[in-house]
Amino acid sequence: MILSRVADGLYWMGRYLERAENTTRLLLVTEELSTEVLGLDEDVARGEWRDLRAIFPGFAEGEPPFRHLAGLASASLLGLSIDPENRYSVFHSLKKARDNARSVREALSLEVFINLNETYRELEGETRRHLADPATFRSAMQSTHRGLMSTVGAIEHTLTRDAGWLFLKLGESLERVFRTVVILRTKLPALVSDEPKVDLPLFYSQWRSLLRGLSCLENYRKVFGARLEPIDVLQFLLFDAQTPRSVRYGASAVKEHLDRISSASDVSQPARIVGKLAAELSYQGHDLIRDGQILSFLDHVLAELGRAHEALSAVYFGS
Amino acid sequence: MKWVTPRSGFDEVFDPRGQARPHYAALISILESFTKEDVERRERLQQLTLRNQGVTFTVYGEKDGLERIFPFDFVPRIIPAAEWKGIQDGLVQRITTLNLFLADIYQDQKCLKDGILPAELILSRKEYKRALLGLVPPRKIYTHVVGTDIIRDDRGEYLVLEDNCRVPSGVSYVLENRNLLSRVFPEFLGSYPVRPIKDYPTLLLETLRFVAPRRGQNPVVVILSPGIHNSAYFEHSFLAREMGVPLVEGRDLLVEGNHLFMRRTHGKRQVDVIYRRIDDDFLDPLAFRRDSMLGVPGLLNVYREGNVALANAPGAGVADDKSVYAYMPRLIKYYLGEDPLLPQVPTYLGHKKDDFKFIAEHLDQLVVKTTGDAGGYGMLMGPFAAAKERESYLAAMKKNPGNYIAQPLVELSTHPTHIGGKFEPRRVDLRPFILYGDRIRVLPGGLTRVALRAGSYVVNSSQGGGSKDTWVLAPREA
Repeated sequence: MILSRVADGLYWMGRYLERAENTTRLLLVTEELSTEVLGLDEDVARGEWRDLRAIFPGFAEGEPPFRHLAGLASASLLGLSIDPENRYSVFHSLKKARDNARSVREALSLEVFINLNETYRELEGETRRHLADPATFRSAMQSTHRGLMSTVGAIEHTLTRDAGWLFLKLGESLERVFRTVVILRTKLPALVSDEPKVDLPLFYSQWRSLLRGLSCLENYRKVFGARLEPIDVLQFLLFDAQTPRSVRYGASAVKEHLDRISSASDVSQPARIVGKLAAELSYQGHDLIRDGQILSFLDHVLAELGRAHEALSAVYFGS
Repeated sequence: MKWVTPRSGFDEVFDPRGQARPHYAALISILESFTKEDVERRERLQQLTLRNQGVTFTVYGEKDGLERIFPFDFVPRIIPAAEWKGIQDGLVQRITTLNLFLADIYQDQKCLKDGILPAELILSRKEYKRALLGLVPPRKIYTHVVGTDIIRDDRGEYLVLEDNCRVPSGVSYVLENRNLLSRVFPEFLGSYPVRPIKDYPTLLLETLRFVAPRRGQNPVVVILSPGIHNSAYFEHSFLAREMGVPLVEGRDLLVEGNHLFMRRTHGKRQVDVIYRRIDDDFLDPLAFRRDSMLGVPGLLNVYREGNVALANAPGAGVADDKSVYAYMPRLIKYYLGEDPLLPQVPTYLGHKKDDFKFIAEHLDQLVVKTTGDAGGYGMLMGPFAAAKERESYLAAMKKNPGNYIAQPLVELSTHPTHIGGKFEPRRVDLRPFILYGDRIRVLPGGLTRVALRAGSYVVNSSQGGGSKDTWVLAPREA
């Protein structure tokens, strides 16, 4: 059993690490897709950037509209990678993860802190260089991504499996499933509309990049092969029991951590909320997708995850 | 390798003829065997290690409370066994006296009645906590952890400059410096019988457990920190990790039924001993500063009831007051009947009329300090100050003379320090750490602080100071 403040710090460290990783990955994928489709259909490229800004809504309000795609792309890249004022930028998330790590350093291993600190310091160096061109940007983001992966590796390999570890993993898993749902909620309206507005190859590119954005492309192929059918992709991203970024897997992971944190005798309020949600996801199937209820279902999932966060903050962090 | 020899003062390494002192000969020959590139490569490695491990301190007053690396110089300071013996004995004598003095002024006040030092000097200080009069701390220990600053004059004699009885910091750098040096320059330690210091956290934990009020069970010890923005936060967290105890902040603690608890995710747990790294005034808003957000309401009552031990004891700060310092030789004689083993710097007291006159007339030769401040803040270096600066300082002194003391400028010893590819002499001091538990233990070593700016006397980390690893050599076997 640990201090409530330390549990809180570890939970948010987990959330911010996961968020930094998500933002990094989606930035890379969006940048690639936008470059790929630019010559074919500028509107699609523009849409990808708009989606990204909806998924990570950290840009200042009242930003002037971008007349040219290049302006939109480079403002989005800079804003979500190194802008310290953007609360969804990779740099901001990394800084928050590190601030939390510093405040609970005694609960971490040296390896975890060093990996996180190095990753942060390296990106901090980039903030002074302004990531002038796409190649520099990609190499900086890839390097940050590697750093995040080794931090997660250090967490996996060196931390003792105590209550602190559970809160760290709880933050990570909650952030992960939450962001997956936000991504789906943002991307799906355009993708599942009755008549595709774009060319077929482009259409598939978009579905492919959705899978890549959730680091699921290879996992999907193992189940369904190379052929991308929207209904299969959706089925996979929502209900697959094994891929770590499916909604079902994510909710089960949150549930498992909450169950282990709960005392043996009674189920806590947050565990109850997520338990119901995980059960729904385990027994839902194709019909939901066919009946066109998918968007409202995703809204329901988001609301329940929000409630779970409120409940666990109240129960465990006293806030 | 280029060595620059000092122009004045005592040098730790070279004698006046420019020869290396015997206990430095081996180190010098190892250093001579390195090329400039070797040294530069290792220095880069050293910087990287410090940065990546986050061995930092926070500078106040800068944007966001900037985190800085505490500069480390790899040329170690070496103290021979015989010299250390003198320091150690002197420190044990001093800490014993400081505790007897504190016990006295919070009980019978015999030293005041006997006129050893003026009563108003003690009773008027804000560090003297009237509310604690008559209260005996667990095991009668007031100063569980002391850091005493020692300097060397131009003849190489060790002098006590001040005692830090409140929350002395720096011990984490002592331990980290040793780790770092053995990693970056492994050749050094292999050539000397250096006494180990790694067990400090273990000894500190024993010291803290020794004063736990609940006997016969496993006491719960915590470190109380003001939080991540405190300049010494790295150290608080470091010691918590090394001792394996929780690092808490005021908001993690609560008082219930005259016992102290920490708030945990699944219920609360009683706390027995607090190693507190916050000042008296912030400990308990109900007892001291009402605006304190760092403390725990009701903590002092729990302490008063004997249900929690605080290290160091509240009210201990009055003993390291710079004006009490002036009376230390008399106090040692008074309580122990002994002469001081470690000399100290002559001190003029602002509250004495004659002394004040002397200070005012010799301001250009003296170092003036305010009695309450630490960290080199509020100080006037007379010999280096502009006439205008001295005038305005004197004007401030006149308003509250009792708040000032003055000392002649002690030259401070120098030590070769690697700066810009050369070894240049830089002024150093020494802060050994002393633990008072079942007995008094002095950590063999300490923090050697070095004034990195050429000609500077100020070694404080907040003002451009760095540090060195400090070796105490084991006595040769007979």
